[in-house]
Amino acid sequence: MLTLGNIEFKSRLILGTGKFSDTETMVKAIEASGTELVTVALRRFNRDKPDDDLCAPLARLKGITLMPNTSGAMNAKEAIRAAQLGRELSGSSFVKVEIHPNPHHLMPDAIETYLAAKELAADGFIVLPYIPADPVLAKKLEDVGCAAVMPLGAAIGSGGGLSTAEMIKLIIRDSNIPVIVDAGLRAPSEAARAMEMGCDACLVNSAIAAARDPSAMAKAFALGVETGFAARQAGLMPKSEIAVASSPLTSFLGK
Amino acid sequence: MFLTVNEENYVHSGDGTIGALLAELGAKPEHSALTVNRDIVFSKDWKSFKLNDGDTVEVLTFVGGG
Repeated sequence: MLTLGNIEFKSRLILGTGKFSDTETMVKAIEASGTELVTVALRRFNRDKPDDDLCAPLARLKGITLMPNTSGAMNAKEAIRAAQLGRELSGSSFVKVEIHPNPHHLMPDAIETYLAAKELAADGFIVLPYIPADPVLAKKLEDVGCAAVMPLGAAIGSGGGLSTAEMIKLIIRDSNIPVIVDAGLRAPSEAARAMEMGCDACLVNSAIAAARDPSAMAKAFALGVETGFAARQAGLMPKSEIAVASSPLTSFLGK
Repeated sequence: MFLTVNEENYVHSGDGTIGALLAELGAKPEHSALTVNRDIVFSKDWKSFKLNDGDTVEVLTFVGGG
């Protein structure tokens, strides 16, 4: 079980809801993934497109908890405000703190993220911050009461994979809270690798939404996460610098 | 009543309650969150809250996001 705050989840795959071609495709992908936690963003109501809001289709899904993000916030103050509005709408205390002021690379602002996470955790939110893969920052976020840390694998939407693997390993080594890879994953094999390394969950959006068949890719990611976690539980064999024969190197035939 | 709603000039012809404004906009109250002059107005306070001429209102809802 993945425990975030005081809530337990069977699935270790968290889905983002952005970039899907239409709502129905998104709903089917969520169902196919088996996820129990999905992220949503807060934006201004569009009078010209009143049906754009995701509340109705998401409310139809059973067993799904919403985690509003704070995207669009440029600093801690704006993120805190977004989190409060998100809680008001979702009825959920989960918040993905996401502050990335530069639209070119969308790298998280570590300082503002820390300030927002600290205040929101103190205010009773279940805080999951999206962060650079920085083990020092991750530990500080644990100390102020975050429910998990979510280091990036690569830039948001880039499909760059698990480019920060070595840093994420350092985060996992010292962390007493779940470590969730968020952003950058492109292939289910990368999700499996993250789980084998010791991650507790993966958050995936673009790789599923931009796949030719999003539902099939959602299922593939679910299997990748499950496989990687099962492999870690099973215990990977130690690595060796040289060959280690599977059979004795004595008593050959004809000798 | 003259308002700014989601950064556009807006003439509200109702009674200045949040419910009346949302109905006029076609926004579902249960799917909306609201700020007035940058302050959050929580749904529990909507019934007693009255908008004033010149107020700046933001009506927010959930969209897809990662």
